[in-house]
Amino acid sequence: MSLAQVFKEHPNRRYIEFGGKGGLGKTTFSAATAYWLAKQGYKVLVFSVDPQASLSDIFEQDIFGKGAVEIIPGLFAQEIDADRHIREYQEEIRQKIRDMYGLDEIPEEIEHYIQAAAAEPAMEESAIFDAVVDIVVGGEYDYYIYDLVPLGHALYYLSMASIYDEWIGKITALREEMQEYAQVAAILERKKETEEDQILAELQDIKQRINTSSSILTDREKTAFFFVVTPEEMIILDTLKAAKLFAKYQVPISGYIVNRVIPPELAQQDIPEYLRHRIEMQKKYLKQIDETFGGEVLVRVPEFERDITGLEMISKVADALFGGEA
Amino acid sequence: MSEEGKRESALKRFGRSAKEFLYGMAGHDMTRFALKTRGSMEHLFILITMGDLLGIPILPPYYSLRLLPYVVPQISTWKRRMLRERDLTDALA
Repeated sequence: MSLAQVFKEHPNRRYIEFGGKGGLGKTTFSAATAYWLAKQGYKVLVFSVDPQASLSDIFEQDIFGKGAVEIIPGLFAQEIDADRHIREYQEEIRQKIRDMYGLDEIPEEIEHYIQAAAAEPAMEESAIFDAVVDIVVGGEYDYYIYDLVPLGHALYYLSMASIYDEWIGKITALREEMQEYAQVAAILERKKETEEDQILAELQDIKQRINTSSSILTDREKTAFFFVVTPEEMIILDTLKAAKLFAKYQVPISGYIVNRVIPPELAQQDIPEYLRHRIEMQKKYLKQIDETFGGEVLVRVPEFERDITGLEMISKVADALFGGEA
Repeated sequence: MSEEGKRESALKRFGRSAKEFLYGMAGHDMTRFALKTRGSMEHLFILITMGDLLGIPILPPYYSLRLLPYVVPQISTWKRRMLRERDLTDALA
């Protein structure tokens, strides 16, 4: 099966993710897929969950922190500015405190806490995670393409949903139990109604957000996850390991794409020994890839003569990925 | 008519007093207990969501920030309670 076929046969898979070790071409394929889909008339958003995003570089346009920027008709790209997201979020919290208690200034220790929380190591990832929830829940686009972070990090990102889910589940349960006690007291005191617990309402809202996001990531009907590999021993081994881990998080792996394949036709020409060796080596690993991943290998993408930046090169990659089919 | 009205309201008054008496005897303690438990749980809740305020690291600070505004008034009593020294009399309370 080819990559184009996968897209045609599963039109409901609107959330597309490319995963793999660093530097194998996740961003390139994200951009090329977005380009291909947009050319077919879909409205597509490609966005990065990487704090060191490179969509700006590949599209040769500064889009960092500018929201969804239209690159060509139908193709939108977005790089989330986590720092700004955190700053705005902090200010939102401060404003809420000011409004709720009619304060002009935030009490010092509360202000300290707000600042300290932003310095937590997980804060940046959490902020991106939360921003992504906003993006995918919006539902404005036909396709959402996640330009994921390298493997280990991606796993962390995916597991974040389940960690949050557990944390929120526990504290919501505690909160509900508290509410029961408040109700008992209210009944005994013959009050008509208990005050609505705003914290509980807030928790349920957070829970719902996290569930929406994690259910998308693991939904076989709606989501396609593609692994990017290259014909090299270490990459194959690491991808195998990662695939097992991803399967644990119910990530719906839809296939493998082999990148950086030196065109084998070159071997017919007069080429230096060095290149001939590399072609031989790749041949061996390509065989290994086919044996290991079998029919799940969707396409082999050649090594290009220059690096992939700008729309012209992206369009070339899209042709290689989707076989030039319209 | 007015005699009857008076009698009725006297009856009502008696009924209310009896209710309050009974509440005082049986219900009040239960209410107090329920509220006290609720209060302890509130502090436990703040501990597991805002533990960072005492230097106890907690898991995702991002979402606990969203709860912060609601617990602002309780923070100082909570801190006092968490950090105060304990002695034998605590067991009796």
